[in-house]
Amino acid sequence: MDERIKDEILKIEDLSIQYKTDLETVYAVNGISFSLKQGETMGLVGETGAGKTTTALAVLGLLAERTAKVTSGRVLFEGQDVCKMSEHELQRLRGEKISMIFQDPMTALNPVLTVGEQIGEALYLHNEQELSKKEIDRKVEETLEMVGIPRERKSEYPYQFSGGMRQRVVIAIALVCNPKLLIADEPTTALDVTIQAQILTMICDLQRKYGTSVIMITHDLGVVAETCDKVGIMYAGEIVEYGTLADIFTGDCHHPYTEGLFGSIPSLTEDARRLHPIEGLMPDPTELPEGCKFAPRCTKCMEICKTCQPGVWEKNGHQIQCHRFTENGEVKR
Amino acid sequence: MTEILLEVKNLKKYFKTPSGMLHAVDDVSFSIPKGKTLGVVGESGCGKSTLGRTALQLYEPTGGEILFHGQNIANLSKKEFRQVRTKMQMIFQDPYSSLNGRMTVRQLIAEPLIVNKVCKNRKEIEERVTKIMDTVGLANRLSMAYPHELDGGRRQRIGVARALVLEPEFVVCDEPVSALDVSIQAQILNLLMDLQDQMGFTYLFITHDLSVVKHISDEIMVMYLGKCVEYASASEMFKNPVHPYTKALLGSIPIPSVESCHKKRQLIQGEVTSPVNPKPGCRFAARCPHATERCRQGDIPLREITPGHFAACHLI
Repeated sequence: MDERIKDEILKIEDLSIQYKTDLETVYAVNGISFSLKQGETMGLVGETGAGKTTTALAVLGLLAERTAKVTSGRVLFEGQDVCKMSEHELQRLRGEKISMIFQDPMTALNPVLTVGEQIGEALYLHNEQELSKKEIDRKVEETLEMVGIPRERKSEYPYQFSGGMRQRVVIAIALVCNPKLLIADEPTTALDVTIQAQILTMICDLQRKYGTSVIMITHDLGVVAETCDKVGIMYAGEIVEYGTLADIFTGDCHHPYTEGLFGSIPSLTEDARRLHPIEGLMPDPTELPEGCKFAPRCTKCMEICKTCQPGVWEKNGHQIQCHRFTENGEVKR
Repeated sequence: MTEILLEVKNLKKYFKTPSGMLHAVDDVSFSIPKGKTLGVVGESGCGKSTLGRTALQLYEPTGGEILFHGQNIANLSKKEFRQVRTKMQMIFQDPYSSLNGRMTVRQLIAEPLIVNKVCKNRKEIEERVTKIMDTVGLANRLSMAYPHELDGGRRQRIGVARALVLEPEFVVCDEPVSALDVSIQAQILNLLMDLQDQMGFTYLFITHDLSVVKHISDEIMVMYLGKCVEYASASEMFKNPVHPYTKALLGSIPIPSVESCHKKRQLIQGEVTSPVNPKPGCRFAARCPHATERCRQGDIPLREITPGHFAACHLI
């Protein structure tokens, strides 16, 4: 065990989030729990609308004020409940202790500010050590070099950078205050594979260097395999399977949804004419099915699945939320 | 021998920019037999989308010929070309920006039928729209929805429906699944392949995702900065890649298995250089770990390494 991995930095307990409008209620997140230790990387995998980004926004206290509502549960960051913090406290948290890498580097940057100004902004706002302008400037330059951009480019504007370089700028902004928790929301989805490989290697190196915990939100199981220690598979606002990388990728027991996800990826090593995708679509989050949320698409659906919400089966930390498993760790036939 | 549906000879497309000529597609040739799929892979900016668009005459080619059923489509009159265009369609990359946000799903799908005046009356349009919505798996209740109400997978299905509603022979798929989730991606890939089996479509499949291209293609072309650097059948390309760029590309893919997680990867340094007024010689030389003086002099033609397997590199 690594020495640094000891303290639980983030703990989410039974978190549920709904978006309420006059017309309907969207059940975005439905009772998820997980925890993250210092220096660990957790992958949150799932399709669009599974609630991955909503979970991330809840951790940052960035949920839309008027519509989003945390209906149950807590988000404990270093023991403090983020959901109960005031706006002032949250502002001190964001960018300094928790920061986020946004998905699309093309739109995440302000086009009328130089990249140096944008990286420096976080330092000005969280200037606890009362750094002078010069010191901040130097820190900005250091950060740029850390992510592999020559320091001379700090007075250039985002449009002068390529996609991969812009994502490096976004990462520099996120890391400039040495946060304890980094949320990477699909950090490489918009990038080419060779650039993706560079960026992922860089995130991992920086994480090792500074002991940052990372929540890696992605839909690419290849990215998960290369970067994460733990994996949570999300479906319709629930974590249906949760375990270590080995549990998910080589374990014998799986949630049917996880199996479906793996069946959807074209393999590079085997030849298959057809993929085995999961039929159908995600349920409408305004009208979630009774019982197991995955039951309508599940090939192994039983009668009980349609009416009764499954409990959590657990073995050595590997959790599966499915009726096919009993408490004894046996697969029910 | 199967009939060649589309043949492209020495296709060039240059764009004029303030800083010089941008060589987006530079001397690319290929041919696709009827009912087959040619996959084009490469990083962004390598000219693969331009290639697809130029092949459909959405851009005027700077040089070269495009033969569709053996007929040079550049020489056709406007009226004749309209006829051919209904046979050549395109599925666009981004289901978020390629659909008009002020039109309903039904209007969006009916639009190509109306523009090309292929239907006699409203009823026929309605019928064909309903049929294609069913084929691509769009529920009928969505017909009055607007694109912003739908998720990416459904939007891409609209894009597929719009391209296929005219019953084309040749379809350029420009990154049709790159904006989608894996399970939806698999559904769309299966859909495209099933439709190919049923209706005999011919695809030019443009993507940056190597596992997708391997899955769907019969033959693969790897492009780098407007040039074709390697051309081979799908299985051959993955078994014996020879060009250093292809090797680097294959080495960069994150593989979803635990064994891969701690292996040290061969990264290629740097980024794609500018395609504006490119220097002579191999375009990959600036990033290539094996580049020699010889690579920077003179153009490197495609050579046949083994039967059916072509590569443009001095070092093989």
